[in-house]
Amino acid sequence: MEKPIIFIKDTSLTGDSSREIQTQLLKVAREKGIEDLQVIRVADLGIYDKGVALKICSLDIIYVNVKLSDAEKIIQTTIKEGTPIEDLLLENQAMQTRIVLRNCGIVDPESIDDYISRSGYASVGKCLFDMTPETVIEEMKKSGLRGRGGAGFPTWMKWNLARGSFGDEKYVICNADEGDPGAYMDRSVLEGDPHSVIEGMIIAGYAIGASKGFAYIRAEYPLAIERVQKAIDQAYEKGLLGKDILGSKFSFDLEIRLGAGAFVCGEETALIASIEGKRGTPKPRPPYPSDRGLWDKPTIINNVETLANIAVIFQKGAEWFATIGTDKSKGTKVFAVTGKVKNSGLVEIAMGTPLRDIVFQISGGCFVPENKMIAVQTGGPSGGVIPEKNFDTPVSYEHLIELGSIMGSGGMIVMDEDDCLVDISKFYLKFCVDESCGKCAPCRIGGYQMLAILEKITAGKGTLEDITSIKRIAQGMQKASLCALGQTAPNPVMSTLRYFESEYLDHIEKKKCRAGKCTKLLKFTIVPEKCKKCRLCVTNCPVNAISGDREKGYTIDQEKCIKCGRCFDVCKFEAIARA
Amino acid sequence: MISAKINGITVSVPEGTTILDAAKKVNVKIPTLCKHPDLPATASCGICIVKVKGSNKMLRACCTPIEQNMEIITHDAEIVDVRRTVIELILSKHPNECLTCGRNGNCELQTLAADFGIRRDAFPNCVPDLKSDISTGTIVLDPRKCISCGRCVTVCQDVQNVWALSFLERGFDTRISPAGDINLGESPCVRCGQCSAHCPTGAIVENCEAPVVWQALQDPEKYCVVQIAPAVRVAIGEAFGFEPGANLTGKIYAALRRMGFNAIFDTNFGADLTIVEEATEFVTRFTTAPDKLPLITSCCPSWVDFMEKFHSDMKDIFSTCKSPQAMVGALTKTYYAQKKRLDPKKMFLVSIMPCTAKKYEIRRSKDMFASGVQDIDISLTTRELARMIKQAGIDFVNLPDEEPDYILGEYTGAGTIFGVTGGVMEAALRTAYDYVTGGKLSHVEFENVRGFSGVKEGTVQVGPHTVKVAVAHGLKNVEYVLNKVKEAKMTGKELPYHFIEVMACPGGCVGGGGQPYGVTDELRAARAEGLYDEDSRCVIRYSHENPHIKQLYSEFLGTPNGEKSHHLLHTHYIARPEYQR
Amino acid sequence: MVQLTRDDLKKVQPKIKAGQQYVKVGMSTCGIAAGAQEVFELFTKEIKQHDLNVVVTKTGCLGMCHAEPLVEVSVEGLPSVIYGRVNGEVAHRIIEEHVCGKRLVNDHIFDLPIRR
Repeated sequence: MEKPIIFIKDTSLTGDSSREIQTQLLKVAREKGIEDLQVIRVADLGIYDKGVALKICSLDIIYVNVKLSDAEKIIQTTIKEGTPIEDLLLENQAMQTRIVLRNCGIVDPESIDDYISRSGYASVGKCLFDMTPETVIEEMKKSGLRGRGGAGFPTWMKWNLARGSFGDEKYVICNADEGDPGAYMDRSVLEGDPHSVIEGMIIAGYAIGASKGFAYIRAEYPLAIERVQKAIDQAYEKGLLGKDILGSKFSFDLEIRLGAGAFVCGEETALIASIEGKRGTPKPRPPYPSDRGLWDKPTIINNVETLANIAVIFQKGAEWFATIGTDKSKGTKVFAVTGKVKNSGLVEIAMGTPLRDIVFQISGGCFVPENKMIAVQTGGPSGGVIPEKNFDTPVSYEHLIELGSIMGSGGMIVMDEDDCLVDISKFYLKFCVDESCGKCAPCRIGGYQMLAILEKITAGKGTLEDITSIKRIAQGMQKASLCALGQTAPNPVMSTLRYFESEYLDHIEKKKCRAGKCTKLLKFTIVPEKCKKCRLCVTNCPVNAISGDREKGYTIDQEKCIKCGRCFDVCKFEAIARA
Repeated sequence: MISAKINGITVSVPEGTTILDAAKKVNVKIPTLCKHPDLPATASCGICIVKVKGSNKMLRACCTPIEQNMEIITHDAEIVDVRRTVIELILSKHPNECLTCGRNGNCELQTLAADFGIRRDAFPNCVPDLKSDISTGTIVLDPRKCISCGRCVTVCQDVQNVWALSFLERGFDTRISPAGDINLGESPCVRCGQCSAHCPTGAIVENCEAPVVWQALQDPEKYCVVQIAPAVRVAIGEAFGFEPGANLTGKIYAALRRMGFNAIFDTNFGADLTIVEEATEFVTRFTTAPDKLPLITSCCPSWVDFMEKFHSDMKDIFSTCKSPQAMVGALTKTYYAQKKRLDPKKMFLVSIMPCTAKKYEIRRSKDMFASGVQDIDISLTTRELARMIKQAGIDFVNLPDEEPDYILGEYTGAGTIFGVTGGVMEAALRTAYDYVTGGKLSHVEFENVRGFSGVKEGTVQVGPHTVKVAVAHGLKNVEYVLNKVKEAKMTGKELPYHFIEVMACPGGCVGGGGQPYGVTDELRAARAEGLYDEDSRCVIRYSHENPHIKQLYSEFLGTPNGEKSHHLLHTHYIARPEYQR
Repeated sequence: MVQLTRDDLKKVQPKIKAGQQYVKVGMSTCGIAAGAQEVFELFTKEIKQHDLNVVVTKTGCLGMCHAEPLVEVSVEGLPSVIYGRVNGEVAHRIIEEHVCGKRLVNDHIFDLPIRR
């Protein structure tokens, strides 16, 4: 029999009254003769902004907004009698649904036995022995699974096209070239549960008639590569890869190919070129890879997260899978929530969960509690920002597109009032400019020119015509770029213009950056009344921009100043003004 | 057949036709900067975008195959606006040096900018500071003018299989360069100039040497001689508004004479001479040294360079004959000089070639100094000559025809077809037939070596012998032929061929890298037709029957493949590294 | 090589059998970057030293990357608990207090986010 244990945590933004309640609970318990009760003040309960929260471990009951006066009732009714107190129960709590991450943090990723013992490879068995490739694809269609790499193309359709294409050999490629800044869902899956991806690839291979697969993993993921390689070796060792899998007539080989770190190689045709040993640049489609892909053979390319879903679909059934999510977006989505959020980490939610729940309930809201959250960015450099006023939007492919962003691969970056949106969009655009393959003119030159304009604006040299130019270049890039990288590169800029145009205007007209991020717009001056002439700023200035003497006082030469803020930081008398 | 609607007009085209090509059928011209009719689409410029009903994206017309019942809009305000933006962006990264550019007046980017009425720099100029590469001495690569369309890379890698040019760096810094950022002179470049012939802008042009020629022409001390190659005569007219393929030999002679050349010769004479030497070489090997078969032609300098770099194991079966250009060169400064009592040192020989590699050939080894001095001083391309004629104020269109000078100017029909793929083979077979059988062909045309398929194979009955021949053009097609030879040699099987002709450029010299711009297969065919037509109208169609050739041997050379011939008209090959460092 | 059959799959046993006491260390890149390797080695060493019947094993990312390194501890008589921000010192305390003393280590418990 487990000892009664209560976890306690004050989840409010300010103050901590958990200690009083802890004492009270223990006191009441002793009075009622319960000697072995433990009340543990924990670091985190996964509940936020709901006053003092309790978790009664043995009963798996969670109470929120608990007052000192509730202690009596809790001990009597719940601990002694085992009955929940309705008024205190946690309600409407956003929950994670772990399908993709079902094994992450549970199994040992280097043990195939761990994976198999949690129904691993059972779906391969089911597909190979109980189903035809056609019924496998039919089941995928019923599940409604769509590609998790960003675009959301129905997975079954991709498979069906490749199945229908003629080829003496066909290929399955796992796209593990995760490159969005701040996104690491795929890495975590590969590192935490590599067999789930391998299993998905075997099923995909069976469905389309491929006997060879490649896992295209970026070289910057050494641990993922190591674990996937170990998993592949183990699968071969057990006859789950190679000839006659599980004693069936189906054979499938799998090997790793390393990506050299070009973001554009996440694009299907560029990825194929990279595996073929060519320069990783996109090619026009058609022909689509499902028709003529790797070495001109029919090829499907599925993202890691997509593949990790597949075994579950066959294990629990497509009908079950289709109950999760929204009408057009089925299943779950893993997000890597980062930025100005209390709990950065991986979150897997059912499609349709509102953004607000992800950001506030699951991730604990703002990192700095008193700050105001202003937006989240989804879809990485191809996505856009979603302002706080739209946080009630359910997360699904369709809804995010409506807001001018995209689902993307799952990066979610939270921004608060200390972030400058012009600066953020400049960051993303710079990423795309750096990662442009250079093949097509609109992206190659358009991105560069647009970035130059943003540099100008954030340096306080922008004009209103620049906004027109940005929109013009954006239109050119969106309409005339060959691949999605160029077509979507203006998205962060366009979405910030859509929701936060006033910030751009502030930079242009008032030469002001609200968040103080655009350092070139800052001006440091010495306030003579406060200055004690200690010369600390003078000695600390890295460019000798501060001059003067004890008689006349000191001044900052604005021409020389590089806005590093060193003087502001070192001054002990608040005599440096930052504006 | 697939039918679709372009701007409301119904069009019916075979399956697989692109929107761009289908539009041409209904007289709709979709602009493009990167698609060359000769090459597969690189889809890089983003200008040929069109709208397709049902798609919210704009699609590239150059690489999107038309589908049944597609409804396409090629021009509306939005499309034109996007195109204009893209052009403006491209212009922002292109130097404003039109007036001093080698492509002034025939630049595709310039034309597009003019058509779109671009009147201002919409975006700040961001031309990178990069240096020109003139290391080959034949072509000039100015990476600043490059718009990264990829045509040169495609032609260098996929058509010519040379892989001298590739894209380096990425994103905004993308540029064309040999791998490893070495210069072209140190790269595997074979100087075929196909990159320059396909470049839409002035990023790759021939190394223009006209000023040196002008200087020589003005020098009273210099005795200036010129020769023109077969393929020049049927292409230069394109620069003056003639129909492609118009044979303008007489006008070219007249123009050169007006420009001040003292003697005007024809490389076709050299071609006839080459045939006599090469046919003799072939017959000798065929009858006495079968281990030195197949004989492989050597008149194309890019092919020679390619062989020396990539297939030097073949160097012993190569024909040792110099090219017609080099033969005329050696004879001008020996035979002709002696006849005219001229000092070879004071002679200045210019050759007009359809080719950029000829600029390299004239200095490729010490064999090119057979006369004691450099045999040929300058080699100009057809494009350079066209410009010189214009500079000289010659009304080329209305010039009367003139004749070449005695003695290196007379030629036969066999000499003139050297300018087209299969021509050397055909000319050689005519003479070889005579040499072996002592008889005449009833039908001198060898149809199976004509035409533009990449590799042409056939057999020819020469008396009791069956001669197996192959003709390849476009260097990528060489591999197929050579692999068959190598395999046979390795396994000791019967040789697949006895005689192989190779021309580096697709179509042979008519499609040479120094020819007027805008080459397509139709244009190559028209130029080839111009040559075949001249051949068919010639009275003499056997090289060895050229009376001046006969005179040359009796007066000067002695016998074909004789000692003097070997000294003046033959050369040696060495293995060269693909990369010079 | 062993050629497993479909039926064999059902017989495969996990590394940690039911009822077995264990310490799982989150050892994905996020964990290792925060020091999980050291923590893992420390657990292995101390458990050997104390001769405890506890399996130490690696696992993947638990999702709460902000609190790495994460360690899940399950010993008899106590609910399975996840500790976050575990360093050498905390690991030592977990062995001493939790595994040996059957008392939870306050302030380092990061309960799993609520899941379906």
